[in-house]
Amino acid sequence: MAPTRKAAKRSKPARKKSPKKSPKKSAKKSARKRSSKRSVKAESPKVAARRAASIATSPKGTVKARVAAAALAPLAVCESDKDLQAMLKTLRNQDEPVKVRLAALQAMQAASFSVVAFESSRGDYIATLRAIADDPDPELRQRVLGILAREKDGYAQKKLLEGLKDPKKALVPPEKALQLLSYDVHADAYSAARDIVKKPPDEMARREALRLLAADATAAPMFEKLLRDKKELREVRQIAASALQALKPEKMQQHAREILLDKSDYDDIKATSLTALAQFGDQEAIGKDKALLKSVDRLSAGKASAKYKQSASRFLGKYGQ
Amino acid sequence: MDVELQINNGATAATRFVSWAPSPCRIRVTNPSGATSPTVNVTIAGVSSASGGVVVFRAGATGSFANSLTLPVPTNGTTVPFFVAGRFGRPSVNNGDVKIEARVGATLVGSVSLMVRIRKNANALTAGERDRFVSAFAQLNNQGLGRFADFRNMHTNVSSPQAHGAPGFLPWHRAYLLDLERELQAIDPSVALPYWRFDQAAPRIFNRDFLGVSNALGTVQFNATNPLQFWKTDGVQGINRRPFFSTTSAPPGVRTEPQTLALGTQYAAFQTMEGNPHGSAHTSFGGSIASIGTAAKDPLFFLLHCNVDRLWAKWQRQNGRFNPALAASFANNGGNPIGHNLPDTMWPWNGITGGQRPPTAPGGSMAPSPCVSAPGLQPRVQSSLDYQGTVNATSRMGFDYDDVQF
Repeated sequence: MAPTRKAAKRSKPARKKSPKKSPKKSAKKSARKRSSKRSVKAESPKVAARRAASIATSPKGTVKARVAAAALAPLAVCESDKDLQAMLKTLRNQDEPVKVRLAALQAMQAASFSVVAFESSRGDYIATLRAIADDPDPELRQRVLGILAREKDGYAQKKLLEGLKDPKKALVPPEKALQLLSYDVHADAYSAARDIVKKPPDEMARREALRLLAADATAAPMFEKLLRDKKELREVRQIAASALQALKPEKMQQHAREILLDKSDYDDIKATSLTALAQFGDQEAIGKDKALLKSVDRLSAGKASAKYKQSASRFLGKYGQ
Repeated sequence: MDVELQINNGATAATRFVSWAPSPCRIRVTNPSGATSPTVNVTIAGVSSASGGVVVFRAGATGSFANSLTLPVPTNGTTVPFFVAGRFGRPSVNNGDVKIEARVGATLVGSVSLMVRIRKNANALTAGERDRFVSAFAQLNNQGLGRFADFRNMHTNVSSPQAHGAPGFLPWHRAYLLDLERELQAIDPSVALPYWRFDQAAPRIFNRDFLGVSNALGTVQFNATNPLQFWKTDGVQGINRRPFFSTTSAPPGVRTEPQTLALGTQYAAFQTMEGNPHGSAHTSFGGSIASIGTAAKDPLFFLLHCNVDRLWAKWQRQNGRFNPALAASFANNGGNPIGHNLPDTMWPWNGITGGQRPPTAPGGSMAPSPCVSAPGLQPRVQSSLDYQGTVNATSRMGFDYDDVQF
């Protein structure tokens, strides 16, 4: 049988160990290899990180090598101001390949987890992020705004809100802006979310606006309506169920029961309702609710997917059915 | 005749959980009827279901383990000590899936069901283990209104210097995970915190039945049967997590386990893993897990850190680094920030606020365990090291990893 490609590849190193080579040369090569292995092993993590930072920030290397090196550089960024500044310069430089800049950003963010060591660099880091928040590359922009939004950065929040109000100024799509604003929800964000729910540019933006409004107590009636609207998308009804459970738990429990009793409602939303009852319901009341248990029994024995039936059986098992 | 078997020296179901590290146990005769001498020879042995846990025994604190053990037990009710451990490689799947039977001759005189409760690779959990974990976690959070809010508030930008960037990083997070795990176990005692091996593909974690699937925007989506669909933190619904890699493979650029274990045999070298793999695993995503202040909003955070802790445990085992008195076990140069020196108490469990500590201490003291007393209600940095009780049996914390032996 002809050797497979993989097998042929595997056979290559064996050919390299040709007996034609003199034993002396071979021994020298082995010694060099051993020595090289020893020197790699002996290199301390700090030295290795500094070497990696140097490769990552040097335009001379290939993109692939620089990206790989950046992953090993977080320690150097914490330990050496020179490496930190070089990494920030790479991140800022629009002439650098985007892949390298993204890798530099990831290395900086990984370094930021070493709080004490990174603290003195935090100011420079945040300033750099703000400076590139409107970078021409959309992926870099989105990641940078994400980091700033999670830091509850006022500058980023302002930019995101401006973009929601005036799409010409938008640095990210509206659904992303809403998602990022949810890290620190202000009244302005609620107002923008309500506008989007009323007149959504697309379905994804509507869903993110609804998610954001799930923390707004005044939105409970809207979520009740969405939950019971059988024409709505499953994901929207799921968002509504979760929002309602948080805003008005007693209302959600009531609706969940009614949905399970409603023979015409969909199995997936019944499964969400069942999960809400199982996780957050009044166990004593559920145990006594014969109509509810009968409807769950119907779900477990009906044509629902195996997963839903299993969930229904587990629910019934919990209440001794 | 009847005998009582006390696991972890306790007679209630709450104490019937063991790991690889030996648990102190006792046996005593509770009903001597039929006894003809002051002592009877009682043989104890484990009986396991096909996929259940397996236990082994020894009479004293040292020595080798055996599948069964015969003990002379006084018929006057005096207790006799022995030790039980899970057999490495055979953890339980369900609570009570292994039984210890006590026999006098062929006569069964007592039995007790228990669990070899072990932290496992999340990607390899059974559906039952996964669902119990997810359900307990969702209950602990209770849509941001439950006890989990304290854990969320322990890991913020303000409190971060207590836990990061200095040698206490690993001990602090070990205590943090243990505290959370004990709270989960208060809801469902069969739950152990699983870990995400970030150097391996984990498609069974990133699915809709477990920790969810991220859409293009990074909003995590769940099946209708998954209680995490009701997840809420800081008043905001859902989880934001955008992987920068295919979740059918491991994230690139994150140090592998062999690379991490090879960082060095001194703690000072090993602790550099805080940057890579730890920081790199965090930042292989966009979304809340990628920043310190928001990372604990995502349940994945705890699986990621469980793996960080597992790596430390494995490094400790590989290099014999359980003893705080050994210089190589910790980087204790005396000049570490507060909370990062061996004798320091750890925030927030110490309740100390203000000054060099954060202004509030959410959550109170460390959750107690019915099985073990360590690391105590107000753990110190040094109490986190000897987690298996290798140096001092009373330091055993009651958890173990599926691939780290005692």
